Amino acid sequence: MRKLFFYLAIFFSVLGIAFAVLPLGTIALLPIGLALIFSFLSFKKSEKNQKKIPKLLLIVSALTLLVVVGKEVFIKDEVIIDKQFDQNKIESKKDAVKELEGLE
Amino acid sequence: MKKVLFTLSLLLTFGNGYSQIQANEKLVYAASYNMSGLMTQLAQVSMATETIKTSKKTYLHLSWEAATFSKWDSFFKIRDLYESYVDPTTLRPSLYKRSIYEGGYTKVEKYIFNADGRTIIGTTKKKNRPETKNTFKVGSSSQDIISMVYKLRTFDFKSLKPGQIKSFIIIFDQKEFPVSVKYMGKETISAGNLGAKECYKISIAAKTDALRGKDKNLIWLTADSKKIPMLIKFSIPVGTGQMKLSNASGI
Repeated sequence: MRKLFFYLAIFFSVLGIAFAVLPLGTIALLPIGLALIFSFLSFKKSEKNQKKIPKLLLIVSALTLLVVVGKEVFIKDEVIIDKQFDQNKIESKKDAVKELEGLE
Repeated sequence: MKKVLFTLSLLLTFGNGYSQIQANEKLVYAASYNMSGLMTQLAQVSMATETIKTSKKTYLHLSWEAATFSKWDSFFKIRDLYESYVDPTTLRPSLYKRSIYEGGYTKVEKYIFNADGRTIIGTTKKKNRPETKNTFKVGSSSQDIISMVYKLRTFDFKSLKPGQIKSFIIIFDQKEFPVSVKYMGKETISAGNLGAKECYKISIAAKTDALRGKDKNLIWLTADSKKIPMLIKFSIPVGTGQMKLSNASGI
């Protein structure tokens, strides 16, 4: 059982890190939560000399959790000013006026 | 994204009567997609109106812009622009334009509506392909998707009873789609700078694979003369999502 918890903890920790890097918002909390649970279970089931890696996984998961929460709190959803897009809009409008003049 | 915008457009697409749509109105929405049960904000969608004058006529320029939030730009950048130039009173279109950029894929489309209202000259330019030109016939009441979006807001929902259905036809990708809209009653929705508002709840269905589920494609319009879309929920083959009003100005 310890091995199962251990491998699940590794799997969800890696998944949690990947989700934290991607702009998936709070979805990353799912694998991170599972990583924390399995890391803790793995830590509890381990003998004294086996606790090092589960402990490390717990720390990594906790840090990933902090990163995700920090991103949610401090990084706002915003659209950057896109000069190319703005220029395309202006051009599109100019062309449209010409087209409409042609229709009349 | 094309399916999402098509769906959102369908959800906003019905009405009769005369224009109550003013120029210089701007509605901004946050578009979210349901991933594993959690809503993730993907993009900002803006709907704006503006008066455009030519030497002989005045048009109402209706535009929709969709742009991914900066955090998504590195992964899948979207910059879509949908435009319709319409008669300010009847909302009948003269020109429809669509320019999409979705993760590197581009498509530019234009429909010129002939004066008879039944013939459209359409041009399409896709990425790495030559421009194609096509003339096609449509029904006299068919309209492009953007102008129909605004017609929804001119519709008198007071005259409908819950469960009552209306049918309409829209043009998208050079095809006509029959669409039905069902009035479902009133609900209070809270969104953006408008706060809590009593809204008309409307369900949309279309004979297309773009929409899924019964009464899962919904729109709430404020139950006042402005009929501002407050919340839109959609169900498409690749999942569900919503668009919630974040700011309304010029109304």
